[in-house]
Amino acid sequence: MKIKQINLWYISSFFISLLVALPILTVFLSFFETTTDYFFLLKNTFLLQYISNSILLLFGVLLLSFLFGVGAAYCVSFYDFPGVNFFKWALILSFAVPAYIYAYALTAFFENYGTAFSILTYLFGPNEYNSIIPKVDGLFGSIVSISFSLFGYVYVLTRASFYYQSQNLIDVGRNLGLSPKKTLLKIILPSARPAIVVGLSLVAMETLSDFGTVSFFSVSTLTTAIYNAWIAFDDLASANQLSFILLLFILFLFFIENFSRKRAKYHTPSKGGFDTRIKIKLSGYKLFYTVSFCGLLFFCSFLFPVLQMLYWVLKFPKYLQDLNILNLVFNTLLLVVLSCILMIIFSFVANYGCRITKSKFLEILTTFSVSGYAIPGVILAVAFITLVSYLDNFIFFNFKTMFIGSIFGLVVVYFVRFFALSANGIKSGYLKINHSIDESAYLLGYSKFKTFSKIHIPYLKNSVLLISILIAIEIIKELPITLILRPFNFETFATIAYIYASQDLLEAAAAPSLFLILIASIFILLVSRYILSDK
Amino acid sequence: MSNSFLEIKDVTFAVSKLNKVNNVTFDMVKEGEIICLLGPSGIGKTTVLRTIAGLEKIQSGKIILKGKVISSSNFHLEPEKRNIALSFQENSLFPHYSVIDNIKFGSERNKDKKFIYSTNDLINLLHLEDIKKKYPHEISAGEAQRVSLARSLISKPDLLLLDEPFSNIDQSLKEELQKKIKEIINEIKISTIIVTHDSYEAFYMGNKCGIILDQSLKQFDIPYNIYHYPNSIEIVNFLNRGVLIDALVTGEMTLQNEELGIIMGNFVKKQKIGSSVKLLIQPEDLSHDDKSSLRLEVVDRKFRGTNFIYILKTNSNKFIPVLVDSHHAHQHRIKDKFGIRKPIHIDHLVCF
Repeated sequence: MKIKQINLWYISSFFISLLVALPILTVFLSFFETTTDYFFLLKNTFLLQYISNSILLLFGVLLLSFLFGVGAAYCVSFYDFPGVNFFKWALILSFAVPAYIYAYALTAFFENYGTAFSILTYLFGPNEYNSIIPKVDGLFGSIVSISFSLFGYVYVLTRASFYYQSQNLIDVGRNLGLSPKKTLLKIILPSARPAIVVGLSLVAMETLSDFGTVSFFSVSTLTTAIYNAWIAFDDLASANQLSFILLLFILFLFFIENFSRKRAKYHTPSKGGFDTRIKIKLSGYKLFYTVSFCGLLFFCSFLFPVLQMLYWVLKFPKYLQDLNILNLVFNTLLLVVLSCILMIIFSFVANYGCRITKSKFLEILTTFSVSGYAIPGVILAVAFITLVSYLDNFIFFNFKTMFIGSIFGLVVVYFVRFFALSANGIKSGYLKINHSIDESAYLLGYSKFKTFSKIHIPYLKNSVLLISILIAIEIIKELPITLILRPFNFETFATIAYIYASQDLLEAAAAPSLFLILIASIFILLVSRYILSDK
Repeated sequence: MSNSFLEIKDVTFAVSKLNKVNNVTFDMVKEGEIICLLGPSGIGKTTVLRTIAGLEKIQSGKIILKGKVISSSNFHLEPEKRNIALSFQENSLFPHYSVIDNIKFGSERNKDKKFIYSTNDLINLLHLEDIKKKYPHEISAGEAQRVSLARSLISKPDLLLLDEPFSNIDQSLKEELQKKIKEIINEIKISTIIVTHDSYEAFYMGNKCGIILDQSLKQFDIPYNIYHYPNSIEIVNFLNRGVLIDALVTGEMTLQNEELGIIMGNFVKKQKIGSSVKLLIQPEDLSHDDKSSLRLEVVDRKFRGTNFIYILKTNSNKFIPVLVDSHHAHQHRIKDKFGIRKPIHIDHLVCF
């Protein structure tokens, strides 16, 4: 009985889980290795600073994303004002602007003789404006950049939760004599709390994973320390030990997120009752404040970086000509297509395996194998290098070159990082197919494979398309993994923008940044209906 | 070896870890028969069907179809190789195909087998014309059940299994459909097992009925026998057929009850003279007689359209049902005294 069950499904699910587990294990094991001098140095000098910077960054970002995300969700869910339908989806465009590109835009605008300076000069004539233009950089700049690019998570999840809140709940509150303000504080927000917590913990994980922004603003956090340990000191052991500390933070957040997500399910009522809510029509100063808030948020989160980049592309056209756009598009597409194929095939294998074997063990394995999304890209990349270098000692052919600095290795690490997207996407598609549907097919004489190809695949093809686009958005924006593991001279929009920016050639970074935002925006608009649904 | 069409031999059906239907044995002698399995909800009727269809495995016993073992403790023929159709109680239509395409999925199987109904015939017979272009999420639960039934029928299975086929269909259409399905099944001689909790449905549809209670198949017989000769107290209670009263066997054909007096009739099972038994009194067993000296108090009156059932209370706190034609000239109110004809004669004396 037991042996019969160990079949293809077990082996492949086990393989996927192993793939995800190995980097984590590598990090954990290396923590107990003999510490190098560099780590001692860190411990005595900078480690505390890294940690405190990471924590400051985290709290700043959480505060801003909470205000932006919940505020925007509240406005578009409960009020009716001109443009409410536009803002509803326009606010998710912020997903198209990675935090590091936002950082370039901020710097370009506020730096000495930057865009703000030009505008003031144009308006009021030449003067010494540099001293009065605030400098948005360092920790503050990082917080602003990351908040504007990540508040979307809180916005989308909170809005979905508000959407499913029934009018009844609010009516009952009113009926019990609560003022609108009290209704908001005592009923609306508490019942959306699980959704807000999930949103915030996603933001927190992404913030701790952020590499591009903090590295551009030269803020020393755990991620930049890991990167520097590896690239500047060529010290994998220290990089892994730092990763361990960061992972502890992430692990904590991961549990909060998972826990809240489970509770969030209880807050989705069954059919009926939620589309009856009457939106309050705004007028007077309330209308002004609401429209200004949403308008400003949209401007700051999306229009500002786009316009800044566009302005520079037009101002310095020679950099655009230097850019080998076709090559970059091809590289990006290559990565996206290869990753999608790999992830989707394995997602089907894992989910279908769970479905037909109905094995609890397999389900736990799959759940574990999607946890890669919580691990920062920098850690994954460094752990991957550690692992491959270690294995290389035992294998004689060119094992190391097969994985490091190759597209293959890059795709493998993307797989670990983003497998959750595709596995969960296919899973939620599968949840909609009742088991009796499979059984009906068997009883009509369809073999397991035919059921899969004739019933499941046609049914899930929309999910597959959706997942592919979501993966594409992530890979287009991905920076640290690509930066560390890409083959020599292989660039994507993200890496080339980063390289120019880190060489203080922001003007040159503008064109790739703009293209990146535009491509990501198109993909986001394609799936906006899905993102704005309950998710 | 017997040559029944379908044989279930000493099979234990595992509903869940704790709940099982143990050591079930029954068979379908001829092809084209209808067997109804009757029992309360959650007893495992669906599991029996799923097991016969091959969706669940068995630990003991044997299932033999057309002389071939399809399930046993060490052999399991995959469901897709059995040519058994199961029509689920819940909606199991393929969500991304229209009604008509769902039905056509069924016709793919056994293409070469002759079948007197075309897809369109079945659509008309089951009143599916208006919804055939619709998708499963656009139709009601009852409609989905009919589509699923059509899909199963058109696949021309050796054995058709129907799980509560009429549960979501309203009363008037239900009766029409029961009639039609019975006709169709009889005409094409398709062997069928129907699972239901509705005894009238089971008695109407089935050539034979099996009653599953307390984790076992209690009785397997033709409907008439189950109705008139229930073989256990549990079946009496389940069918809600009447009450059991204490009586003393006084002769070859007589019983004595303290309040009702002498009761005559034929014993279904021979009883020893002098033994005390529990006698089943069914509503149609007693007759009304205003002049009788045997009078009991009316505590409830149920109007059933064609008849009334009066519930009478005995001094020993038993509630005896008595059936009276609804055209009966006068009606009795609650707390009235109600006369019962003496001496009491009951055709079949069912005693436990």
